[in-house]
Amino acid sequence: MGTRERRERSDASDKELAQLFHDALAMCEIEQAQIGLAAVGGYGRGELAPGSDLDIVILHSGLPESALSQMVNQLLNPLWSVGRQVDYSVRTRAETKHVSRGDFKVALGLLDIRYIAGNRQLIDAVAADAKTNWQKNIRDYLQPLRQSIEERAKRSGELAFLLEPDLKESRGGLRDIHALRAIEKSSLVPVAMARLAESESLIANVRDVLHAVTKRHRDQLLLTEQDAVARELGFADADLLMTELSKAARAVDYVMQLTWHEISQKLDTSFFKRRRHTPVAKGLEIYRGEIRIAPGYHTASDPGLGVRAAALAAQRGLRLSVETAIEIAENFTPMPVPWPRAAREDLVALLGAGSAMIDPFEALDQEGLIERWIPEWSHVRFLPQRNVLHHHTVDRHMIQTAVQAAALTRQVHRPDILLVAALFHDIGKGYEGQDHSDYGQVLIKPLAERLGFDEDDSELIAQMVKHHLLLSAVATRRDLEDPATIEYVKNLVPSAELLELLHSLSIADGEATGRTAWSDWKASLVADLVKRTLSSMQGIEPAAQVELTEAQLAKAATGELSVTIESRDGFLDIEVIAPDRPGLLSTVAAVLSISRLDVRSAKTRTVNRSAVMNWLVSIDVNVEQPTPQAIIEKLDRAMEDPEGLQSRITDRISSYRRSPGLFVPPPVVTFYNRVATDATVIEVRMHDQPGILYIVTKAISEFGADIRAAIVTTLGAEAFDTIYVSDLAGGALAEDRAMGLTRAIEKVLATNS
Amino acid sequence: MKLITAIIKPFKLDDVKSALQAYGITGMTVSEASGFGRTRGHTEVYRGAEYTVDLIPKVRLEVVVDDGDAEKVIDTIVKAASTGAIGDGKVWSVPVDHIVRVRTGERGVDAI
Repeated sequence: MGTRERRERSDASDKELAQLFHDALAMCEIEQAQIGLAAVGGYGRGELAPGSDLDIVILHSGLPESALSQMVNQLLNPLWSVGRQVDYSVRTRAETKHVSRGDFKVALGLLDIRYIAGNRQLIDAVAADAKTNWQKNIRDYLQPLRQSIEERAKRSGELAFLLEPDLKESRGGLRDIHALRAIEKSSLVPVAMARLAESESLIANVRDVLHAVTKRHRDQLLLTEQDAVARELGFADADLLMTELSKAARAVDYVMQLTWHEISQKLDTSFFKRRRHTPVAKGLEIYRGEIRIAPGYHTASDPGLGVRAAALAAQRGLRLSVETAIEIAENFTPMPVPWPRAAREDLVALLGAGSAMIDPFEALDQEGLIERWIPEWSHVRFLPQRNVLHHHTVDRHMIQTAVQAAALTRQVHRPDILLVAALFHDIGKGYEGQDHSDYGQVLIKPLAERLGFDEDDSELIAQMVKHHLLLSAVATRRDLEDPATIEYVKNLVPSAELLELLHSLSIADGEATGRTAWSDWKASLVADLVKRTLSSMQGIEPAAQVELTEAQLAKAATGELSVTIESRDGFLDIEVIAPDRPGLLSTVAAVLSISRLDVRSAKTRTVNRSAVMNWLVSIDVNVEQPTPQAIIEKLDRAMEDPEGLQSRITDRISSYRRSPGLFVPPPVVTFYNRVATDATVIEVRMHDQPGILYIVTKAISEFGADIRAAIVTTLGAEAFDTIYVSDLAGGALAEDRAMGLTRAIEKVLATNS
Repeated sequence: MKLITAIIKPFKLDDVKSALQAYGITGMTVSEASGFGRTRGHTEVYRGAEYTVDLIPKVRLEVVVDDGDAEKVIDTIVKAASTGAIGDGKVWSVPVDHIVRVRTGERGVDAI
């Protein structure tokens, strides 16, 4: 099997067609000078797989319709009668020119036009027209070409990651190689075709063998056929074949990305609208619709740059510049162990972006960065799974699970844990003689600690990896009405927090696996098991109010405004102690927000008519670290002029626009009335954005409730706020008031995000 | 020949499968099903809202057997699927006119 066979098949078809063509001309009394027969597309390139369609054009110099149709019937009937598939068109040179100008697919197919029989000059002229047209009008063809490539990828998935890929249509497959060759022919940019020679011959050979083995013209390489194809091609087993195919497709995809990058650099602003450099984070800017390293930035001293760049690209729905990924890999600086909080937050923000994370994550992975940060990743990279339930290689399945988990972040109290566990839940796969859940638990614990999760959180993640199949297995195989079943689950999953996380992980894992593994039927069984188990457990306690230190209490007793700022781990720790007044928390939140200080976490509590607030904030790349005096002045001004503050914060909120393509699950607001004796506890789960805490706390003040304490946590783009509120007269809100407040917060969040 | 269909509790599938295998049945079709019988589902409260769970997940198992085996196979399924509680399911049989093994073209009892 190989190029030679494809060429021989093509030659044989040429001969057969030429004979039929001459017979038909004789029969219809048409002069050879008036008509020519040519091959286009793959057949034009002289590559004919067994069972492929014959793609031909019949070119003529203006023959009447009746003569033509008679001639075409004469030519093709013998082929049709033996079941050959023929794709044909009949045109004059002028018609061909006209049609290919408006239809890039025709233009593309004509690039490979090749003479078979008849008037050679006519066909040469059309070939020359096709080449000139392609080079001259390539800019018009690029958009539809790129669109067709992307639509194809969406429809047929990626060859590198599918367990049953389509060798022709999937991303990284033969059609992409042909598209690259066409771009090369335009002479617009150089295309690294030499890097693809091996990939192309492997994928084409696999396709040939597949056609020969199945005796069918179908390009999807099914699991059931992989063994036979691998054997025929001399691979030791199907896994080796699939791994090699993955690599080949990856190389194609990489050249594709490089080529589009070259094109975008070459073409002027018309292709990507803006040419402004917009700084967006430390060392990073948006330029021509891509996230890239700011010119002159010293990358080697910034180990977190790669994750930060990917997180930004994902959250903004932009591409990560190929050059940036390469530069980060070339100047690789190992991440400190454990990862700093900022890097961990960026990882969570990347994962939380849902499907927008795939491209930037891939960019990092192609440059080998994921493996260097997380050596455990190497083992599952491209790892095929011989399993009828799965569609993807292990690495891509885990990425897909994280994508699905991003939609479930409002269902849990710890979205960060859910996302990280989703990305690594099958990390123990592919080790001989090891149960993947058990071995995954062994691998993940130290990995989570390296990522900077504390002992308890790392253990939680390890338990999730260990038990990620538990709920599905028990729900379908054990009697849910038997108390022993519930006891069994409770023994393995002792906390409601872990159970809630496992429930979301089961859903994400199932949905990422596919319909054969996950259905409404199974989802309802798992939900039933979770509900039964939860009802026999203590619920999840809301975050407790913060304990204050003696020093803080003493300061609070003075009733004066004081601000202290400390720098810690790249963040600022700001302590604000202020006399309490209605709306104080929202005022402070607004002042921090308009000072471009991004709240990562906060703990506040009101005692003795003073509020003690501890804020952990990150500083915007464009501003300098503020002094306590500056914050005090801004607070004073804000209290004197609430309207001025209102307009500035409104500007700040409206200047932030989320990328329209980013899917963000809607906020979830819940309340508990029996947790604290003197307050109602409100929990708000939402996507983080500038000023969001101001919006929530202001809604509470306007509702006529008093904020007693708040515990705000943000990790990546996921915010989880616990707010203790009481009525102005003191005490918890009545049930209907609490419900009303919940609705009010939901409403402002819906209008402001 | 008879087509025996059983609607059983999902977790009982493994028991029923092994009981049928022990009896000598080698092939069966299993699918996910949902429905309700005399128990009519039940009402639940979730996040303050009341809703009715009217379709309960079940497993549907189908097997074609020779007439002479039908009674015993039904008994085997009933025994293995029983918990004594509400919602254990149903088993029924219907006559089968034709059966063909697609690969070989064998017909009738030979194709079972």
